[in-house]
Amino acid sequence: MTSAGGFIKAIESGSKHLVMRRFTLRYPEQKLKFVGDGYQFDPKRGVGIAGYRGRHILLHDKCTGCQLCAIACEGIAEAIGMVKVDEQWKHNKKAIMPQIDYGKCVFCALCVDACPFYALFMTNDYELSSFTKEHLIYTPGQLAVKPKYQGEYEIIIDDRGATHG
Amino acid sequence: MATYPQRFRFGEFVGSLIWLIFWVLIIVTLVGLPLIFIVLFYIPLPPIGDEVLTPYRFLTMVVDPSRTIPIIEHLMTTDFFRVAAFPGFTYAALIAAATIFIERKFLAKMQLRVGPLYAGKVEGILQLVADGLKLIAKEIIIPSGADKPIFWAAPVAFVAVAAAVVALIPVAPGWVVADVDVGLLAIFAILGFFPLITLLFAWASNSKYPFIGGMRALHQMIAFEIPFILSALSVVILSGTLNLTEIVDSQIQSYWFIFFVPISAFVFYISSLAELERIPFDLPEAESEIVAGWLTETSGMIYGLIQLGSYVKTYALAALFVILFLGGWAGPQIFPPEVRTPLIDISPLYDQVAANATFWFTLKTFGVIMLMLLPRGISPRIRIDILLHTGWYKLIVLAFINMFVALALIYGGILGPGGLLVR
Amino acid sequence: MSSLEDKFEESKKLGLQIVKESEDDRLMTLSVGPQHPGSGHFRFTIKVDGDYIVYCDPDPGYVHRGEEKMCEYRNVIQNIPHLERPVIHDSNNITYSYSLAIEELVGIEVPRRGQFIRAIASELNRQVYTLYWLAIYGIFLGHSTMFMWPMGDRELFIDLLEALTGARVTHAFNIPGGVRNDMPEGFRDRCIRQIRYFEKRMKEYEDIFYNNPLFRQRTEQVGVLSKEDAAKLGVTGSVLRASGIPYDIRKAEPYDVYNELDFKVQYMKTGDCFARSYVPLLDMRESCHIIEQLLDKIPQSGEVRAKLQPNPKGPPGEAYRRVESGRGALGYYIVSDGTPRPYRVKISVGSFRNLLALPYLLVGQRLADMPAVYWSLNYWPVEADR
Repeated sequence: MTSAGGFIKAIESGSKHLVMRRFTLRYPEQKLKFVGDGYQFDPKRGVGIAGYRGRHILLHDKCTGCQLCAIACEGIAEAIGMVKVDEQWKHNKKAIMPQIDYGKCVFCALCVDACPFYALFMTNDYELSSFTKEHLIYTPGQLAVKPKYQGEYEIIIDDRGATHG
Repeated sequence: MATYPQRFRFGEFVGSLIWLIFWVLIIVTLVGLPLIFIVLFYIPLPPIGDEVLTPYRFLTMVVDPSRTIPIIEHLMTTDFFRVAAFPGFTYAALIAAATIFIERKFLAKMQLRVGPLYAGKVEGILQLVADGLKLIAKEIIIPSGADKPIFWAAPVAFVAVAAAVVALIPVAPGWVVADVDVGLLAIFAILGFFPLITLLFAWASNSKYPFIGGMRALHQMIAFEIPFILSALSVVILSGTLNLTEIVDSQIQSYWFIFFVPISAFVFYISSLAELERIPFDLPEAESEIVAGWLTETSGMIYGLIQLGSYVKTYALAALFVILFLGGWAGPQIFPPEVRTPLIDISPLYDQVAANATFWFTLKTFGVIMLMLLPRGISPRIRIDILLHTGWYKLIVLAFINMFVALALIYGGILGPGGLLVR
Repeated sequence: MSSLEDKFEESKKLGLQIVKESEDDRLMTLSVGPQHPGSGHFRFTIKVDGDYIVYCDPDPGYVHRGEEKMCEYRNVIQNIPHLERPVIHDSNNITYSYSLAIEELVGIEVPRRGQFIRAIASELNRQVYTLYWLAIYGIFLGHSTMFMWPMGDRELFIDLLEALTGARVTHAFNIPGGVRNDMPEGFRDRCIRQIRYFEKRMKEYEDIFYNNPLFRQRTEQVGVLSKEDAAKLGVTGSVLRASGIPYDIRKAEPYDVYNELDFKVQYMKTGDCFARSYVPLLDMRESCHIIEQLLDKIPQSGEVRAKLQPNPKGPPGEAYRRVESGRGALGYYIVSDGTPRPYRVKISVGSFRNLLALPYLLVGQRLADMPAVYWSLNYWPVEADR
């Protein structure tokens, strides 16, 4: 019977996989490695630099409070609102800076594309869970902190299969 | 995260502890102690050695564990031990639990993933305990138009019938719960209950999808009972008896029957997959077509009972395969005649023949169970018309072929009393 | 065997006699609704006579969110993140077609390296979507291994797309004018390595799934869609190619750099469920070859994005462009009235076209064939409802 041949091939194929490596990434003990520092945008050249789109980072010494990021986000997710800050900066006369609500943000990075002053970038950090919705609204001070993300695992392919290692 | 933990107050904690101790004391003195006295007054205590086992003597034995050996020895000869512990329900339930865990890990390895990992320190070994606790804590939802007595009774009946099949299976010579002369026939009679329970439960669920699943289960199980019985008939012809212990003895005297009637073994294997509703024959529970088939309305412990019954049935049918075709408990003797333990001397409990028989039986049963788990990883679900076509045409013909081979072997004088291959 | 139209007319008569069902005990109405493991976010009602389906009534609209209307309130660039939501894991194709239409309206010229990267992202996304489809097809037929293997191998491509665009799904990568960022370093070697490994994996799929006698018994000669009926019903994509018509938009109306590439259109002649499930596998093989050619031919340096005004707008007019996505032809018809916001956006998706074949094909099949036929039409409910 030709169907017997088909069954034997299927059993052979299934049994071959018993000696291959397991593919699962065991998060949170193993975390993925990203190349680079996160998505950035170069307004002079008008093109972005490849990177992971995680949490934003706001450089306070560059932000002028021009609201272009908030205007860009208004049509998308309405996640950026401008708030008054206590700091005094020469280039930020109105003393307003963006605060981002990660409950609404879709991580599309069009706000990063909109900023003309090299002030808003994205980082590799994606672990943003919290217990309340209010904690998800990141103030400009919280956005200035550079996150520590350690990830060392990536896909390795050898003759016994692919795995995360 | 839906709830917030309450703030911890030490005073409240101590107060709750004192309440607990208070209630324990009240229940023990007002209810527990009188019950013990009534029991001891009315029930005759068994004699151990030459003295009667009083509670005082029992407490002294607890202090010195080596003195409990005679009690255990006496227990092992009672019927209760055979029904509850070995080879009865506890043994079957342990093997069923091990089967569930091994199945999940085996399938996970074949599918290049990890399976249960986090329950227990070593690769998720306590996953079943976690699942059991979860199922006990779940709410059991009964549909409003359901037939309540049957809805509650059917899962319990499922486990009870599966346990009844286990009761007829001998694990070692002399170690069987019910040594019936027509053992094989009794097993088939008991297996005939399963389609009835399935259909009753499906009908009592009062819903369309369980109805379809119940009809499919009925068709499937009844259609495959005939090849099942016919393939076992070849073994009965070769050994001349329906008693399961004697079937194993006749295999010990000649060779394992799988060498003489391999096609019957294959038919038995396929039919047992269909009886157990395992993939590729799990159309009564086909998830993508009829939600969950006849299990749709089960939740909580009812689902747990049905899964337990299903896996106990798996052990029972795999053990039956081992007894009929693979020589039961036959195997070379690898246990020493006497065993010495350093602190406690357990030599009265140790029986060399029984230990060897149990070891080989369990090993072979696990081998057959792994063989039953394999098709789950490699094949899709079958359709009902292909199933009935295969069961009625192909398998019955194959079973008949091997029956003629078995008859030829007996009449040719190769097997049977005084045959050529009988040692 | 009467033609499809006669079958459907007769079954419609059965369906319209809803009042009569209580007198006729043979028919049972089943609702394969959103809360059914075999349907996804989609509801269809079937009437079953014993084991045979006599009538099928699809009921789309469960996930309708008003995508087309929402486009009129956002400017051209802001439309991208929400237009990719109908198919989140095939987002590069649904925004590709939109970008082509807007570029035609506004008059933007995309630089050459940008076109190549767009094509690479589109092909990678096609693999991601097809593997997801294949995994769900396996589990609909009860084959849990065929669910896990494609989902695992899909990680290879999601990993590549994450390195390229910055997100695993919902890439927001194609915008009118090109792509948003250039390829990162080491992308080419990683891509080639993972594609070579994936080609070996496809052989395993054939062994355990496509050549499995049980699978063949369930899908051969089931749900046959003949060549004439396929053309009459207007199905598209792999469903059309499985019925014997070798039509692929990448060859018939080539866009961007597809007229410079060398690939064959894969098609099969039988038109049953097996053909519809095999053609995507052949398509995936062709995609691997296309990606390797693209990585060889890409210009080493250059712009990837045309510089645009802050609120790009063009003269009043209309444009229609379409792209071959995982499900079939995905077209955008955009009407502009000279303002930065489009006046009307009409999305024409392959899923909705293929849905028309479902009532025709299900009539006369068994209940067990329902998931096999339904999912082989390559139907993604969220996209069809937009």
